[in-house]
Amino acid sequence: MPLPLILSLAQVDTSPATATGPVSPAVLLSGAAAVGAAGLVLLMQPGKQSLRIAGTVLALAGFAMLFVEVLKRAGGSGEGLPPVFPVIFGFMALAGAVRMITHPRPVFAALYFVLVVIATAGMFLLLGAEFMAFSLVIVYAGAILITYMFVLMLAQQSPVAGVGDAWYDRMPREAVSAIVVGFVILATLSETFFSPAGQELRDSQMETGSEAGLVAAWDRLEGMPKLLLETAQKVEPTATAVVVREGATLVARGDSAVVAVKLADGSEKEVVLGPKHLPDNGRQIGVDLVSKFPAGLEIAGVVLLMALFGAVILARKQIELGEDERRGLAGMRRMTVEGEAGGTGGIR
Amino acid sequence: MNAIQTTMLAATDAQTVNAALLVSALLFAVGLVGFLSRRNMILMFLCTELMFQAAALAMIAFGKVHHDISGQVFVIFILTVAAAEAALALGLVVLLYRRRETLDSEAWSELRETA
Repeated sequence: MPLPLILSLAQVDTSPATATGPVSPAVLLSGAAAVGAAGLVLLMQPGKQSLRIAGTVLALAGFAMLFVEVLKRAGGSGEGLPPVFPVIFGFMALAGAVRMITHPRPVFAALYFVLVVIATAGMFLLLGAEFMAFSLVIVYAGAILITYMFVLMLAQQSPVAGVGDAWYDRMPREAVSAIVVGFVILATLSETFFSPAGQELRDSQMETGSEAGLVAAWDRLEGMPKLLLETAQKVEPTATAVVVREGATLVARGDSAVVAVKLADGSEKEVVLGPKHLPDNGRQIGVDLVSKFPAGLEIAGVVLLMALFGAVILARKQIELGEDERRGLAGMRRMTVEGEAGGTGGIR
Repeated sequence: MNAIQTTMLAATDAQTVNAALLVSALLFAVGLVGFLSRRNMILMFLCTELMFQAAALAMIAFGKVHHDISGQVFVIFILTVAAAEAALALGLVVLLYRRRETLDSEAWSELRETA
């Protein structure tokens, strides 16, 4: 079996790289980002197939260099094999995003944005945010994108035969300076995220924070008596009530917690809960939302209500303006439109 | 076979977080480039949605770093703001389109300061 051999070789190969990773020059990330940016410049040139291919290759190379360097800085298992799913979802998201800003047809750009949403939802799943992953797909791909699609189809001119798509969709505006701005942002962000100091801070936070995170989760559970009883019933099905002892219903001990419950026959019993008994991701988010951010929840409701009012007012004005315009223009435009295509007369 | 599967599938948390942060930074940069370089007003707003995505991804990645679920709760608020923004911005874009019969943002360049 050559597989262990390959693995051990990879291990030998990456261990010095991991050791030199943090001290490697800071320009490495910026250089990779610059390669990707150069590829994007080529990709945004309209209409030249060979430039586009070269741009794709360059952009892919830049992205791949960034990924390799960043994953190397994470250290990790030292197994040498790349973590497959984050890389797949990352490339899906980036390819979708780049295609979205370069595609000459707006409807296709919106569809590529759906690809980005789905890839991001995959990333959310990998990060353990199941509830948000699915609500992202439902809200973004299901609701917001449909709104965009409707407006695109409402407002978009159909491509003229011979000319093709609208010129303003084919020609980017100031592509090079836009990419320079984007590159500066990217270099700053990646240097902030992945500098050796930042990486070290994050690593130590991930190691030490795990205990605190569990304690916070137990705290949240304690604040919800009914959920606590349900959780205790997972371990002790005959429990009927949670008993308060020394002013607390739950005592966290390391990663487990102890709850005293009253059983159906009247006796009391201590139940030990482990991390696997914690409520699922959706419930934890719900409890956190209503217990820690009640004001934010209210404000979010007000924001949505105001958006609703605003949309209604915009739509009302739109009809009035249309009538005014019709009166002001005295029908001349309408006649030409009706002469060309009778169906569009209703929109104006 | 089992060994290769587990090693391939098991990205460490640090690796996943790093990849997510990188993707978030890249998505934000690409969204910014798109916002600056697209002329179509609807697509400009779509690019801001891309930047919202990047922010949400960063929120969740940092929530993972700190083992704090509030990062995921913030994404709910981001979604709320994005939905409200989409509803209002698209209404405005349709109004603008009615006026000029084009989605080109340069049709409104007279609004800027005269240089």
